[in-house]
Amino acid sequence: MINEPDSRDLLTEARQVLLDSLVPDLAGEQKYQALMIANAMGMAIREIEQRAQGEPDATDRSLSQFLAGHQLPDDPSEGEQTLARALRDRRLDGDDPELRSVLKGMTEARLRINNPGFLK
Amino acid sequence: MSALADTFSNFIVRQTGARNARVIEFSKLSGGAIQDNFGLTLELEGGDRPGGQEFVVRQDAPSGVAESLSRSEEFRVLQAAFGAGVTAPEPLWLCEDAEVSGRIFYVMSRASGTASPRKLVKGDLTEDQRRHLVRRLGAELARLHTVRPPMDSLAFLELPTGSNPALSRVGLYRRYLEEIGEPHPVLEWALNWLEDHAPEPGPTVLCHCDFRTGNYMVDGDELTAVLDWEFAAWSDPCEDLGWLCCRSWRFGGDDREVGGVGDKADLLASYREVSGADIDPSAVSYWEVMALVRWAMIALQQARRHMSGEQRSLELALTGRMVAQMEYDLLNQIPELEEGQ
Repeated sequence: MINEPDSRDLLTEARQVLLDSLVPDLAGEQKYQALMIANAMGMAIREIEQRAQGEPDATDRSLSQFLAGHQLPDDPSEGEQTLARALRDRRLDGDDPELRSVLKGMTEARLRINNPGFLK
Repeated sequence: MSALADTFSNFIVRQTGARNARVIEFSKLSGGAIQDNFGLTLELEGGDRPGGQEFVVRQDAPSGVAESLSRSEEFRVLQAAFGAGVTAPEPLWLCEDAEVSGRIFYVMSRASGTASPRKLVKGDLTEDQRRHLVRRLGAELARLHTVRPPMDSLAFLELPTGSNPALSRVGLYRRYLEEIGEPHPVLEWALNWLEDHAPEPGPTVLCHCDFRTGNYMVDGDELTAVLDWEFAAWSDPCEDLGWLCCRSWRFGGDDREVGGVGDKADLLASYREVSGADIDPSAVSYWEVMALVRWAMIALQQARRHMSGEQRSLELALTGRMVAQMEYDLLNQIPELEEGQ
């Protein structure tokens, strides 16, 4: 179903109105709340954009490859659960550079949505 | 509000033996999701505190967090800390009779200055002023850590299970993750690292457990009060030192390890001068990693409060999305520590 403008466009425009027209007139607690709303909308926009670019799939793929390479079940929907459990059970070497790289990849993907400015 | 002001004012009149009190100012103070803080300025006639007096009244807010101390317990912790010479608000009177205001509350002295991290970190303090403030922080912690178990008045504080507070924290956070039920491989990885690298424990002391920029008041370059004692616990001194230095509490002043204000060497030097204890900087670094994990746990729990419907809140929801920041810091900081070894 075509339903234009799309949700990314709507959210982007709504966020801009909030920041450009409303926030300048607010102060104190209300300004703080408005900025939190803009922040939440920004995350939602970036999440939609990343999905459109297939980024979550790429992150899941490298996790799957890692799990398969370590004889762990690589069901994509359970990947993080499997990895967390294997770490808890001490079935993986915490010093393994490949493990650290997978962990970093997942975390950076989240930060690109949640707070891109935090990435160094 | 004015009825509440009268309630507190009448309570203070009874405590001080004043003939009369006039409310000059009464307002709700910002901060504190767990407690309500009110500023109350009174003009007292007679009694043992005559004249203009500024108080803070702290009482439970409707939404409490199970992990934190009750107001009665917090009052006793504050008494112990104040008694040890910590620059904390003077704990004056505890009212455990919920009939008086509807909730348990206590009254303490009001300190001057601001607790705002941004004002402090981005402020225009000179290098000397920053060093002075960091040395004060070290001295305050050294004095607090002279309070040691057993203490009858603090019998409600549990002693760490096992012989190493770090390892009991690791066990506790694994249980939290289990309860939260959401997979967090980075936190599992960090907990394994913490388990494998636990330093020799220090003495068991009274720790503030939320001693960081934002939780102490500063007037100019003088520390006027250490606030927010509701997470106090018996623990390793390095838990407080590590929390203060944790990357999450530098508020943009990343290169100033002590709360975005100054240097760790000054903090530990001053701690040593007051306590006589030589703290191994690597133990503080270890507890900085623990602090990142702990803050991630708190953020996950806050997000759960929102998601479960217990307390729908945009702020709590956004806090949940901060966990990736702590995870990112863990993934950078642990290798840095390993390289430094």
